[in-house]
Amino acid sequence: MPSEQPVSLPGILLLLCGILVILTPWYIFPVCEHYGNYVVTQTGMQLPMACGWTARAETGLGILLIVTGGILLARNSEETRRATGIFSAAIGVLVILTPTVLIGMCKAADHPCRLLTLPGLEIIGIVTIVIGGYLVWKREPDA
Amino acid sequence: MREYPLSGLFMLADRNLRNRPARTIAVAATFAVIAASLFSAQYLMSGARQSLDNGLNRMGADLMIVPAEYATSGEDALLTGRPTTFFFQDGGFETIADIPGVARASPELFIGTLYGQACCAGPIQLIAIDPAHDFTISSWLKENPSVIMGKDDIIVGSAIAGDIGSDLRFYGHTFHIAGRLDRTGLSGVDMAVFTRIEDAYTMADESGIKAARKLSIPKGMVSAVLVRVSPGSDPQTVSGEIMNRVPGTKAISRAGLSGTVSERLKTTASLLYGSALVVTAVTIPLLGCVAVLIASERRRETAILRGLGASQSFVRNLFITESVLLTLAGACTGIGTAALFLVAFGDFIAISLKIPFTMPPAGSILTSMGVALCLPVISGIIATLYPAVQVSRADPYTVIREAGI
Repeated sequence: MPSEQPVSLPGILLLLCGILVILTPWYIFPVCEHYGNYVVTQTGMQLPMACGWTARAETGLGILLIVTGGILLARNSEETRRATGIFSAAIGVLVILTPTVLIGMCKAADHPCRLLTLPGLEIIGIVTIVIGGYLVWKREPDA
Repeated sequence: MREYPLSGLFMLADRNLRNRPARTIAVAATFAVIAASLFSAQYLMSGARQSLDNGLNRMGADLMIVPAEYATSGEDALLTGRPTTFFFQDGGFETIADIPGVARASPELFIGTLYGQACCAGPIQLIAIDPAHDFTISSWLKENPSVIMGKDDIIVGSAIAGDIGSDLRFYGHTFHIAGRLDRTGLSGVDMAVFTRIEDAYTMADESGIKAARKLSIPKGMVSAVLVRVSPGSDPQTVSGEIMNRVPGTKAISRAGLSGTVSERLKTTASLLYGSALVVTAVTIPLLGCVAVLIASERRRETAILRGLGASQSFVRNLFITESVLLTLAGACTGIGTAALFLVAFGDFIAISLKIPFTMPPAGSILTSMGVALCLPVISGIIATLYPAVQVSRADPYTVIREAGI
């Protein structure tokens, strides 16, 4: 008979964070290309601005977070909690570093990506790190 | 003298709170809302004041004299950085410089740039200065002797994109970024580009051929005159004298700008203070009722504690400690969350409310935190005090006998 596992709240929160990381740069606080702002090359080709590439990278990180949350929901053991905790904290750090250091956003301070998308992603990144830290720190008996 | 260890009191209070997670979270969330509202209102007010001070200190002027019909545009250009182009006869400039109480006067040209600049999402304010009279950029150049403002050189505000040494084009004319000002939070400074008046004239002359739209700057006309009053002179009196001697002008003063910012913040601050007040007013009696119910529900538990030797004061303090821990946890969560959002979305809030904004000084933040912490904690103590006293005074023998333990 399968054992009844309690649903992992951090697992659900990680799943939600993953969905938010994907939705924020495209729908909630969209990046500049949503407003029709592109880099135009001399040949007339339109390329995404830095914030557009960040949005694409964040989509990948969001998927990784969803998978992490899914793993925790599927198997809520002490070992899984610690492993997913470390992994999600690392993803949280990347969620913040991608728009600030690794790829960046547009340089102009009044662009929508700087005003809304960046702070939105930073807050989700911080929440993800906190959840990851909680998973590593908290000792719970195996379900 | 206290006859029990404080650690035991805190441990028991902490366990009691953990044993009732739903009630603990609900009450803490209410206090989080109160603390967050109070903290946000104070943070916004002091951030706006700090930013206005930073920006005006950077400009170094006590008054800005503009044509009366453009007073609102001039104020907006300073507070929000919204670009504007206007002029008045500079004959007034010579008169203003000679008025008693005026220590220095500096003419400026305000030119709104076109859309589609590499540096910014929208048009920005180009401010052309006269190096012979200027005291805004000149004082900054004195502080930064390595920067020299030569032909076609510009000094940009902190929010303008572009590296020092790189080029920016306005109306088809290429300028070189020579320096960058520190962030003040005042968009009129942070979102502005400073150039020399002669370079602005050259740009206007070339704009007919090089730019999508021709720029006309009437020679000998200025947009505004920045005035620094003599030590000991009252800016209010000096501004009255200027408006009398040069009809058709309006003086924008530090006090006037401060009043405009307060007016723009009034609705938001009232909403935040009002919601904190309403939630507090509803919470105190509600929490009082909840505390009475809980005290009644825990009569047996407290009677057993008394039976085991706990004093009346221990039982009373246990209830009060639970309340303090609960309100502190709620208030800290509220303040932390509010601070996170205010810091992250500070620029967006400033643009939406059309106010200057920067992070307030540490002392001001700590004061705001203190006030936002104290109100919930005091409310919690007031609401719990009566039931705590009542339950501590109950006779343990009677309670245990009635409960049939």
